[in-house]
Amino acid sequence: MEVEIIFKIAAIGILTAIIGQILKQTGKDEIATIATLAGLIIVLIMVLNLVGDLFNTLRNIFNF
Amino acid sequence: MEIIFKIIAIGLITCLATMIIRPVRSDFAVIIAIVGGLIILFMVIEYLSNVFEIFRDIIGITGLNSNLYTLLLKIIGVGYLIEFTAGICSDTGNSSLGDKVLLGGKIIILVMALPIITNILQIVMELLPS
Repeated sequence: MEVEIIFKIAAIGILTAIIGQILKQTGKDEIATIATLAGLIIVLIMVLNLVGDLFNTLRNIFNF
Repeated sequence: MEIIFKIIAIGLITCLATMIIRPVRSDFAVIIAIVGGLIILFMVIEYLSNVFEIFRDIIGITGLNSNLYTLLLKIIGVGYLIEFTAGICSDTGNSSLGDKVLLGGKIIILVMALPIITNILQIVMELLPS
């Protein structure tokens, strides 16, 4: 579970950058910004899930 | 005992990933740093719960009242979270925000620790020959 999530986020980052570049070259700039934004949102959702898990485990252990 | 090697490995991998992704997309570098920190926290958290089980047994033996124990647990939890958040704040560059988070955490811990202080004072007062 641990290491692959780092690689997943790095891969999404590189992919969105490449897709953005390609879209910019072909002239579709606004779609490029939307694509990079979508990549960012996907990664943020993954991070939010992780942080949610952290808070739940902390709540169980420290019985807040 | 080999978990320490996993922690080191994940730390190094996270640093490399942030280094690679920084020129391509600088905002993802910070996100990867946060995720790396989260993973290491997840790995060590079981050890922490074992320590608390031992604490609970010790306190059970010594006969101290148990709400001190839960209070101690909460204070450690608050410290744990505050340090994690302050680290992220200083990572993303706004260290003044991190200091404010730390200040807030210290105040919360002080407020939570007041009952312990009054408890100790009562014990001391009982010992003194009035």
